Amino acid sequence: MHSIYQRLNSVSALLSTCLLVLLGSIALTTYVHETHPSGTLEISSTKVKLGRMRYQRRMVETAHVKFNYNADLTSLFHWNTKQVFLYLTAEYTNAQGTQNEAVFWDRIVRRKEDANIHIAGGNKYFLKDLTRSFKNATSVTYSMKYNVMPWIGPLTWGEAGRTEALPLPPAQNTV
Amino acid sequence: MLDQFRRLGFRHVLLQVLNFASVLASGLAMWKGLGLLTNTESPIVVVLSGSMEPAFYRGDLLFLTNPPTSAYRTGDITVYNAPGGAIPIVHRVLETHDLVTKLTVDDVVVPQLLLTKGDNNQEDDIQLYNGLEYLERKHIVGKVNGFLPYVGYVTIAMNDFPQLKYALMGILGLMALIQRE
Repeated sequence: MHSIYQRLNSVSALLSTCLLVLLGSIALTTYVHETHPSGTLEISSTKVKLGRMRYQRRMVETAHVKFNYNADLTSLFHWNTKQVFLYLTAEYTNAQGTQNEAVFWDRIVRRKEDANIHIAGGNKYFLKDLTRSFKNATSVTYSMKYNVMPWIGPLTWGEAGRTEALPLPPAQNTV
Repeated sequence: MLDQFRRLGFRHVLLQVLNFASVLASGLAMWKGLGLLTNTESPIVVVLSGSMEPAFYRGDLLFLTNPPTSAYRTGDITVYNAPGGAIPIVHRVLETHDLVTKLTVDDVVVPQLLLTKGDNNQEDDIQLYNGLEYLERKHIVGKVNGFLPYVGYVTIAMNDFPQLKYALMGILGLMALIQRE
């Protein structure tokens, strides 16, 4: 009637059902946790430099931005948070009407203790336009965004800090 | 073994083969149906490299969607096939450039140029694009929306040790044929 094979089969079926239900409910609680991240983003200086980048023969304008960021992101850390990926973007429209969004700084926050953030930072990545120039581009809006990466289940995105549109200064020749 | 087959009879063996085939077919139908719903060629992918550590490790499963009407944004994690590349790559979008078009159809997304980077890499991905400066929408397989750790390691193990794959397939096939129900 009940062979070893049958017993093993039903035990493993029960265990895997329990595991699936547990994992599923952990994943679903991601939506239940209340998160209220807040941050203030200030741009302390912007410069546009005209020069040659590595491997490139033509002149390219690059924007150099310094910023201050203070934030309390502790509420993003609940039991299903593996890490928070924090990234700073610049949004603007260039002379040709292309809408651009570019990340020029990012940080991985892995612990709740590190989620109270006070940074004075600058570019980690080059900020440059498709046309190689920021001439006649609109003012730039800067915003700090985050991506909460879970132990299991859905990834979520949000924003904690934004500036108003700030104009870029004219390019300085650095060659 | 042969005795067992003889005892079961030819019709029974045929029935089991049919059962086995229908299991395979329904699996395939579910995979393709999921692909249709999410608008991507592979709705579930296994992470194959460490370039998104410490978030994604080798063997983690990712669930993708690729909605045809919405554009990609910075911070999205995409899976893309680089032109001429052998395996799909999981990296985060660093830059988006929404180009101007004369077409104004609601259902069509604006053409985009995308630049990506792995969280664990120092540099962006231009080196991986084989001569392109930016990715286009056609290279993107989908956006990562869900995460399940470890499970995909089975497929990596089967690729690394083919014997394991054949052994598993053999045992499953035999059991499907012999089982009496």
